[in-house]
Amino acid sequence: MKTKQDFPSINQRKADGVGSDGNAYRVLIVDDSLFVTKQIGQILTSEGFEVVGTASNGQEGVDSYKELYPNVDLVTMDITMPKMDGVTALEKIMEFDKNARVIMISALGKQDLVKKSLMLGARNYIVKPLDRKKVLERIMMSLSK
Amino acid sequence: MRVEYINPFVESAYNVLKEVLSVEIVRGELYLKSTSMPVLGVAAIIGLAGDVEGRVLFDMSKATAIKIASAMLQSMEMEPIEELNDMGKATITELANMITGQAVTKLHNLGFKFDLTPPAIFTGDNMEIADTGVEALIVPMDLPFGKIEINVAIRERN
Ligand SMILES: [Mg+2]
Repeated sequence: MKTKQDFPSINQRKADGVGSDGNAYRVLIVDDSLFVTKQIGQILTSEGFEVVGTASNGQEGVDSYKELYPNVDLVTMDITMPKMDGVTALEKIMEFDKNARVIMISALGKQDLVKKSLMLGARNYIVKPLDRKKVLERIMMSLSK
Repeated sequence: MRVEYINPFVESAYNVLKEVLSVEIVRGELYLKSTSMPVLGVAAIIGLAGDVEGRVLFDMSKATAIKIASAMLQSMEMEPIEELNDMGKATITELANMITGQAVTKLHNLGFKFDLTPPAIFTGDNMEIADTGVEALIVPMDLPFGKIEINVAIRERN
């Protein structure tokens, strides 16, 4: 059996995805692209976050949030999706839980869209292409707000 | 089709391809196509709606699509693909989505208001995309993985 001794720690830095109480932040990823879902999931799990759900359109995202609540700490929300777009889904999630932490992740960076999302309660807005550093920085900013 | 529409696509394609794939990209000469056209084998398509209607088509051979998707997946430490499976298709459509999203953002800042629809992908050896009745401008991009043709057809609504 492996014990903690088998994994010498190289540095003592706390992983970004683990909160001050020692528990992993629980994330719901909403995106219609299998590629992006995997990409975001990979970045987050490598930092200790726990992906507790994925959804491939806005409606599914809202439903999953309600199902997971209150055991979800963070949502990443795409905008261009079939059935229901991400801005509408954001609005619905905020109506349901005014403390929800939602971060928009989109290929669109149009000013009015960014403004509208932030007005509706999004904590941050990340424009694709994504890289690890950008995603983690913005997410950490949103969690400390 | 207004010429102003095309430059943002050329710039975005160049920037996104370079950033995502980290390879040298050579822009080919733009040209016009007016009839329905056979495509190279894999076509990702994104619709545009708002002040204008139209579509953007990303056309490439299957071999090129596999190489591009593999490079994108490997840049995320994921397995490359050998066939154009669901993950491969999702990777190519996301590339199309990023390029079009960035172009639409640029156009929006220039005062053209429109939005994009979720991408779709078609594969097949003898495929023709129906004529939209609008001239299409083709932006060829040469990559070490092969050629991508970005085919933009936009019509103003009135
Ligand atoms: Mg999308």
